[in-house]
Amino acid sequence: MDENVGPSEMIVHLGPQHPMQPGPFRLNLRLRGETVVDAEIELGFIHKGIEKILESKTYLQGIPIVDRICYLTAMTNEEAYVGAVEKLADIEVPERSQYIRVILEELSRLQSHLLGMGEFGEFIGFVSMFMYTIKEREDILTLMDMVTGARVTHTFLKYGGVRGDLPEGFREKSATIFAGLKEQIAEYRRLFNGDEIYKQRCFGVGTLEAKTARDLGVSGPALRATGVAFDIRKDEPYLVYKDLDFKVCTATDGDIAARIEVRLDEMLEAMYIIEQCLDQMPSGPLFYEDSLYGVRTPTMRVPEGDVFHRVEDPRGEMGFYVVSDGSDKPHRVKIRGPVYPTMQALPPLIKGTTVADVAAIAGSMDGCTSEADR
Amino acid sequence: MDAKSIIDSLVNKFQDSLTDAKVDSDIRISAYLEPEKIKDVCQYLKDELAFDHLSSETAIDYPKKDEIVVVYHIASYDHPVLLTIKVKLPRDAPEIESIVPVYWNANWYEREIYELFGVKFNNHPDLRQLVLPEELLGDWPLRKDYEGFPNTTARNLV
Repeated sequence: MDENVGPSEMIVHLGPQHPMQPGPFRLNLRLRGETVVDAEIELGFIHKGIEKILESKTYLQGIPIVDRICYLTAMTNEEAYVGAVEKLADIEVPERSQYIRVILEELSRLQSHLLGMGEFGEFIGFVSMFMYTIKEREDILTLMDMVTGARVTHTFLKYGGVRGDLPEGFREKSATIFAGLKEQIAEYRRLFNGDEIYKQRCFGVGTLEAKTARDLGVSGPALRATGVAFDIRKDEPYLVYKDLDFKVCTATDGDIAARIEVRLDEMLEAMYIIEQCLDQMPSGPLFYEDSLYGVRTPTMRVPEGDVFHRVEDPRGEMGFYVVSDGSDKPHRVKIRGPVYPTMQALPPLIKGTTVADVAAIAGSMDGCTSEADR
Repeated sequence: MDAKSIIDSLVNKFQDSLTDAKVDSDIRISAYLEPEKIKDVCQYLKDELAFDHLSSETAIDYPKKDEIVVVYHIASYDHPVLLTIKVKLPRDAPEIESIVPVYWNANWYEREIYELFGVKFNNHPDLRQLVLPEELLGDWPLRKDYEGFPNTTARNLV
């Protein structure tokens, strides 16, 4: 961005420590009065070099690393990486394990959307929203903790299965928690839609047209809020999603309120998916011990080749491109995160709005800088 | 639109520049392409075959074969077919036409490939570093012969 400012212009740097988004990035705004005339994002403040690290670790050592790309989506990141390696090595996952993975991934979606919404509430000055959602999120994390033994970074998947079965009492506990959460979601809707400030700051603000969203490469709830029903779980079903009944939640307006609406709907849908899984799940092994890669040693070798595996992250399309040269370490891992295009889309989206709306729009896109900056 | 008809259409149009075009599964296609055609192919994919979503763009370093392969994954919001295009470039002077005029979001991907692999994208609107400090330009950290911090970076810290 040009640093020369005109007589009535001003350049404002939001960040890198602004609480607008989880993790620091810098947003440079050129303002004329209160209107944003130009915007630019600077990344790289927390670059972790995860792609390079993965190249120096064996396949097994890679799993805890991919958890740390973004702690809100640890489970889906694992699924994307483990799924890619399984495709490469032609490892089969028993059906029961697939169901357990789906349950955990949908729980992950619930907790991510809850925190995202709470944070969004803070950006529009609705601080109590954060306190409501963080309480519900703790309940969901407790469910995940029961299964995986960890609250945020789980390292629960392994090649060809999962580390453990669902514990005793999981079904009952989840039923109680979901009943409470469903009531809470109705309450969130009431709180949002009954709030005059929310109406004025979110309806018709930060509107993304379907055509623009496609051109910008956006995916996930931000795209579905514009009416495009693009969901990897339907387009290229992985695990047992093709056996499950769920709909792709969309909205039409493409504004901030529509994005919140889509996330609220998706939370209900996620709970519906988990309930189906608990009903349909067959008994059986978690792991085929006698398969080709039965003894998955820490130095497991993967045949030469490359594969691009995509999953539906809470924020959109998460893909891992893994290239193997036949050794025990990947030759190249490319992480295609959903936040990258979402954040790239931010400057065109906030051009022409007022500076007060910037935080609300950025918050509603639910970006995770840590993931863009991996 | 299915994988077979898409690949037939592509091969018909770009016969001379496509090699090894094959259908991997019902919804996956892959092909190797000559570097000079990349922008035309992308334009054709977007206009004629509804491939309107650049899913990812990346590079792989093969020091033994002395080449850098740029890999494009192009998908669509309307049909589930995903196309993988690979372009081989010489390792000592990798250079390719930018596809930003076709796919807007290629911008950051190409900047990232440039700073990490040293692939130059011609006619890119803003080719500079994205995530690394400016002093690291020229180190190409994701190449296989990168010695790692601080061996090749110490000179910048003095």
